[in-house]
Amino acid sequence: MNDRKVLVVGLDCAPPEIVFDRRDELPVLKGLLEKGLWGKLRSSDPPITIPAWMVMTTGADPGRLGLYGFRHRKGYSYDQMWIANSKAVHEKKLWDYIGEAGGTSTLVSVPPSYPPYPVAGNLISCFITPPGPGKETTYPAGLKAEIEERFGPYIFDVVFRTEDRDQILREIYAMTEKRFEVMDWLITAKPWNLFMFVEIGVDRVHHAFWKYMDHDHHLYEAGNRFENAIIDYYKFLDAKIGRLIEKAGADTAVLVVSDHGAKRMKGAFCVNEWLIDKGWLVVKERPSKPTSIDDLPIDWDKTRAWAWGGYYARVFLNVEGREPKGLIPAEDYEKVRDELLAEIEAIHGPAGEAWATKVIKPQEYYEDLEGEYPDLMVYFDDLYWRSAGTLGHGTMFLPENDTGPDDAVHAQYGIYILHDPKSGRTGRRDGDILDITPTVLDIMGLPVPERLKGRVLRP
Amino acid sequence: MAFWYIKSGMDKEFTTVTIPTSLHKKIEEFIKGTEYRSVSSYAAKVLRDSLSKAEQPATEVFSKDEEEKVKERLKALGYID
Repeated sequence: MNDRKVLVVGLDCAPPEIVFDRRDELPVLKGLLEKGLWGKLRSSDPPITIPAWMVMTTGADPGRLGLYGFRHRKGYSYDQMWIANSKAVHEKKLWDYIGEAGGTSTLVSVPPSYPPYPVAGNLISCFITPPGPGKETTYPAGLKAEIEERFGPYIFDVVFRTEDRDQILREIYAMTEKRFEVMDWLITAKPWNLFMFVEIGVDRVHHAFWKYMDHDHHLYEAGNRFENAIIDYYKFLDAKIGRLIEKAGADTAVLVVSDHGAKRMKGAFCVNEWLIDKGWLVVKERPSKPTSIDDLPIDWDKTRAWAWGGYYARVFLNVEGREPKGLIPAEDYEKVRDELLAEIEAIHGPAGEAWATKVIKPQEYYEDLEGEYPDLMVYFDDLYWRSAGTLGHGTMFLPENDTGPDDAVHAQYGIYILHDPKSGRTGRRDGDILDITPTVLDIMGLPVPERLKGRVLRP
Repeated sequence: MAFWYIKSGMDKEFTTVTIPTSLHKKIEEFIKGTEYRSVSSYAAKVLRDSLSKAEQPATEVFSKDEEEKVKERLKALGYID
């Protein structure tokens, strides 16, 4: 291992359309880009915060990680689930390689990092930290008190259960302000070879304010007072990043990355409503008001498929010998799945428009397949339509999210900018999220394990 | 450095691990008047607790109440429905 230091600036959800296309408004990021290597960064499948940050920092894809989103079924039960957390990640992470080589890392809110886990260095947990006092949120445990006596309580996330956009915006700024106060101290107070943080505020500002910015959004109103909310936040962040980079030292390599991109949400598709219409899902009584799939009186003896919502849909089949009341004979699994897949691909939008829906069969898509994977993963209209798991809205197509204020969906391409003052890597070259771990290992003079599929990013 | 023993109620065999003498002294002071009769029994208890926490499966990290709170938040954020 050499003596190089790497600062990884994680901007959750930052898309090329803002970071690159509006770089003239972001002098720090623009400066890094002009002196460095940069490009679009293809996210994982699914392009969701969990697992994407762990795909990036382990170099292993979601199949190998066994992580397909924020929640998973417990085995093949119908109603038992668990929330993804740091304990679910068993692959070696970037900072494990660094620690083994005698180096140290400072990690600030890289998802998932609750519960906090031991690292050679320091760690602050992320936004999945449950609310409430008395939680351990750092490694070592004593770091929490060191932070709180200087800066008061750390802020892990913002409250999103309100339509009050002013309040959301205030909270996003307060959270980011606090994180940078803490990091401005950490970056000089603790030794590190790798310093990595994830700013979740970028994701939150997108989801809450995209419709106010994007002229193509179906709910956009010209001249609205939040027109510049997103770009103003980026400018604020750009200046904060600039100050952090100054503190990191002139020889430090800076890598700005996002876990996935963002784009306008066209609406939410009530997939379970559709499954009922098509006879795949059978309920004892069809709900007349918005109802979660968890509260739906499903007739499992007659149901062949059901789905979970989110930015993408996870579809599960009710298979004989696998699910408690499995219906589809195991030998018909592929045939029935293909039948459903074809029907899903044929779904059209509310005006009869064609959709560019992508359907993934996990068993064929991933080389390794761990954990509780769904039978099908569905990106409705290439993710433009989120998947609503709820039903009973009186329509299959909702103009807005079914669960909260949300105007954006995830996009497959995020960004990276690598400014390494010592390597002279410059120019445009698109990359893959799997390339990040090999690239950082390479900068630090550490061998890249052969089993990692990504490549070192070079011009 | 001081030597001390890890033992549990059921274990019949013991081995030694080493800790700094200063830490040993601190623990000795700390356990005075507690149910711990020796530095070893205190250390064994702490290590067992720590290990069982480290070995906790991912599916049992959140209490029911915490899981509900985190689920609500993830719903509002659009990650789950």
